[in-house]
Amino acid sequence: MSSVRTPSAPPAPPIPEWSRLVGDALKQYGAWHTYGKLMEARAAYPNDLSLRGYTEIIRNTIVRDFMSHPKGMQMVPKLSAEFLTNFDRFNLSAQEGYLVSLIDGRLDLQKLLILSPFDQFTTLFNLAKLQHERAITIPQ
Amino acid sequence: MNNYTIAENLKSPIAIITERGAVAWRNHAFAQQFGTDAQQWLKEGVRAVAGESGWLQGFFVSDDEQRTVDVEIEGRTYRVERILAVADYGEPAVALWFEDVTAQREMEQAKSDFTSMIVHDLRGPLSGIQGTLEFVLSQEGSKIDSVYTDLLQEAQRESERMMALINELLDFSKIESGNFTVESEPIRMAGILKRAVRSLQSVASRDEIFLLTAHGRDVPQIVGSVEKLTQAIINLISNSLKFTPKGGLISVGAQIVRNGESPEAIVVTVTDSGMGIKAAEIQQIWEKYKQTRNKSLRGGGGTGLGLYIVKQIVEAHGGEVTVASIEGVGTSMVVRLPVKRAA
Repeated sequence: MSSVRTPSAPPAPPIPEWSRLVGDALKQYGAWHTYGKLMEARAAYPNDLSLRGYTEIIRNTIVRDFMSHPKGMQMVPKLSAEFLTNFDRFNLSAQEGYLVSLIDGRLDLQKLLILSPFDQFTTLFNLAKLQHERAITIPQ
Repeated sequence: MNNYTIAENLKSPIAIITERGAVAWRNHAFAQQFGTDAQQWLKEGVRAVAGESGWLQGFFVSDDEQRTVDVEIEGRTYRVERILAVADYGEPAVALWFEDVTAQREMEQAKSDFTSMIVHDLRGPLSGIQGTLEFVLSQEGSKIDSVYTDLLQEAQRESERMMALINELLDFSKIESGNFTVESEPIRMAGILKRAVRSLQSVASRDEIFLLTAHGRDVPQIVGSVEKLTQAIINLISNSLKFTPKGGLISVGAQIVRNGESPEAIVVTVTDSGMGIKAAEIQQIWEKYKQTRNKSLRGGGGTGLGLYIVKQIVEAHGGEVTVASIEGVGTSMVVRLPVKRAA
């Protein structure tokens, strides 16, 4: 009795231990740095489904931190002095540019979410990014 | 003692069957169990019925080396497993292992029928209780004392939880009994996500959790069941709600995976800022009756079937599920659904 065996497939490249790597990066370098690294990793591992999940966990962390401002939904974003004097320095995406056009120093977060054409999470993430890049400030 | 001698004396029936359904070799147990009549039902296994290949043909056309099927033979149910492909008989042949699982399958069927019956009998009265509570609580200008209103609201919440558990059990019994089919209607995934988020928004607000959508309007259509996919997303959000603390955030997103210009798949993510899952438990969460050791923050432990049902629904749509989690930071449930065009 002889068996027919199919040739074994070449070994797949090892998948990094994302949970530990992302957790460590988050502790050491913060959410924005980790987010940048995850976007690079996604280009290297386009078919890794869990990597999308880790990216979403970090985006979620960024948005939750942004919303934890003491004034919550009543926070009023303002354009920063740096942005007003030197806006060419800021390389804004189309979505960020649109949101910047809504910020007048009077509209609070709740109203901005209503006026924004983007979904709530995307709006909040873009506002958090604008704050991180110092294009907007949020007075306490 | 060579391999043949070992196989010859095993207590389970084993035989080498050719592609045409002929017995090329059999052990003692096979001869005792099936005698000389085996040829008859093996020929049936080769015949295609209504365009579907016979069970025996499946072992020759499938690439799955570990393939097993349940086969009715002379009034009993046998689990037939392919051990290996054999090349010594002038035509393709396979060594098959037959295990009598009649008693086991009967017990499973009885268990499933019983669950189904119990669940139906519980749902009726519970729907009545929910309707009554809803009616009483909706009366404007009611003279009910606020203490009683709180108690009635508590009763309403608990009845909702009980209904969710019963529905999970009902879906589980459908899956286990094989009565789980997926329709092929064109569906808008963006609508499903919105509906699922809307249905749990009041629960999230009550628990002071932000529940946000994170997808645009251009999510492509897929083919499947609106009802089942909505339920899968609701199960995922409900699970996140259980493990997310007050002030936390749950986002429900959809991304499009493209192959060139055309959309190939939709990736749905339900992400929370909960306590995360221990690395050792991460792959077990999709199994039935499995729950993480991390205690749920609210709503008790549940049946341990919610995520198992999600996996069954997604796989029935040709998709896959996975999970990403960082302890103390959050968890993201990831669902990939292929974009198929309606026929």
